[in-house]
Amino acid sequence: MDALAPVLSLKDVSKSFASKQGMVDALEDINLDVAPREVVCVLGPSGGGKSTLLNLMAGLDQPTEGEVRCNGVRVTEPGPDRVVIFQELALFPWLNVLGNVEFGLRMKGVSKDERRRRALEALELVHLEKFKDSFIHQLSGGMKQRVAFARALVIDPAILLLDEPFGALDPETKDRLLAEIQEIWEKTHKTIVFVTHNVREAVTLGDRVVLLTARPGRIKRDYRVELPRPRKIDDPGVIELADIILGDLRGNGQNGHGEAGDVTAD
Amino acid sequence: MSPPIKKVLFYLILAALWEGMFQLLPGKVPSPINVLRSLVEGITERGYLWGVGVSLRRIVLGFGVSIVVGIFLGILLAWSRTLEETMGSAIVSLQALPSICWLPLSLLWFGISEEAILFVVVIGSLLSITMATMTGIKRVPPILTSAARTMGARGLGLHLPVTLPAALPSVVEGMKQGWSFAWRSLMAGELLFVTQGIGHYLGMSRDLGDMNQVVAVMLLIVAIGLIVDLLVFATLEQKIRERWGLQKG
Repeated sequence: MDALAPVLSLKDVSKSFASKQGMVDALEDINLDVAPREVVCVLGPSGGGKSTLLNLMAGLDQPTEGEVRCNGVRVTEPGPDRVVIFQELALFPWLNVLGNVEFGLRMKGVSKDERRRRALEALELVHLEKFKDSFIHQLSGGMKQRVAFARALVIDPAILLLDEPFGALDPETKDRLLAEIQEIWEKTHKTIVFVTHNVREAVTLGDRVVLLTARPGRIKRDYRVELPRPRKIDDPGVIELADIILGDLRGNGQNGHGEAGDVTAD
Repeated sequence: MSPPIKKVLFYLILAALWEGMFQLLPGKVPSPINVLRSLVEGITERGYLWGVGVSLRRIVLGFGVSIVVGIFLGILLAWSRTLEETMGSAIVSLQALPSICWLPLSLLWFGISEEAILFVVVIGSLLSITMATMTGIKRVPPILTSAARTMGARGLGLHLPVTLPAALPSVVEGMKQGWSFAWRSLMAGELLFVTQGIGHYLGMSRDLGDMNQVVAVMLLIVAIGLIVDLLVFATLEQKIRERWGLQKG
């Protein structure tokens, strides 16, 4: 296989849902290749099919047309090569931090000692080794977010899918987490796809920013972010590119906001 | 005034009122002192504790069967929509029948035997546990199972480590309710027909016309119900609340 063969590849993907108003087209003609080690951010308004796209990649949902492939294999169901970190995190309250991080390895049938060793390693990566015995509800929002990362990373997936990872966090926690994700990425070079409606988050983290239109979601543009890393959300370069993207998004709408919806820069 | 002090005061006043009632209506109301004496005598001389032991053994057996069968049925109902629509609604209608109403049928089936009373205890608590397990499983947030599936969980590997623990708070709630139904059914059954057990002592005391004993046994039944509720279920609920980080209340 070509060294640059995409880890994840979407070909002519469309998705429609039946609703009370008839069929709703959530996504239309999505073609997207994600290269190894690439961080791709899908940017679009809320309710604009971003989460649907992520679910299709995860295999939690099936496209109406087209196909999703992961390392060349057609995606028909969820699997540990494509771990999702949900906005709600979905940590298990009946397990402590270590138990949560070990979960995926338990599902893989990894032996107890090996499981523990690798889970502790993952917790060290996110600086939470001291909290391995804590219950989930005892942690702050940012710490829970890091547990979710450790729980996903420990499985060593081909690709990490993040759904609005900063949605519910205060600005300070968000800044720290942005820095930490970049640090984690420097260490692991994971392939990452993440969706957000925040332009600056997208530009800060992404190697590419893929702009999705409102319903039906189509890829409007694909920006390459060449800014040096690590980036901060208020770097001049980040702000500049974010403003360009926001301008593009608003420029073509019928009114002042057009397809921008609730896409924001802060 | 702190709540414990309030409680102590309340019970002291209650005992005083009780004593007052005894003074006013000596033939109708037993004296608290005599009841207490009767209770002590019952325990030391008339084998109340043995009766309690028999009852507890019955409830442990019956309630144990209820937990196992109830959780199993609840899982079935949550798993199959058809079963829920058919058997589920039948179970809801059956709950309209107080479980002690099964006793005559149970006696015809099993005779005056342990099985007859166990059947009533099981029927009394089974449905609560079944329904609580079903709703608990159906209310598991889909996001938890989705997350588990993307981490490679499948089939039983999904349901045993994720669905069941996620449904646990609801199952325990059903068990708590089931326990109180089971205890009531057992007492009614023992009072009506079945020999031995602490409920039987209640009937015997009435036959003897000894009001002191009647009230003493009633107090004992309340005490056991409360103690089990506090020791087992309150502790269990507290543990779950701590783990899940839920609010008290």
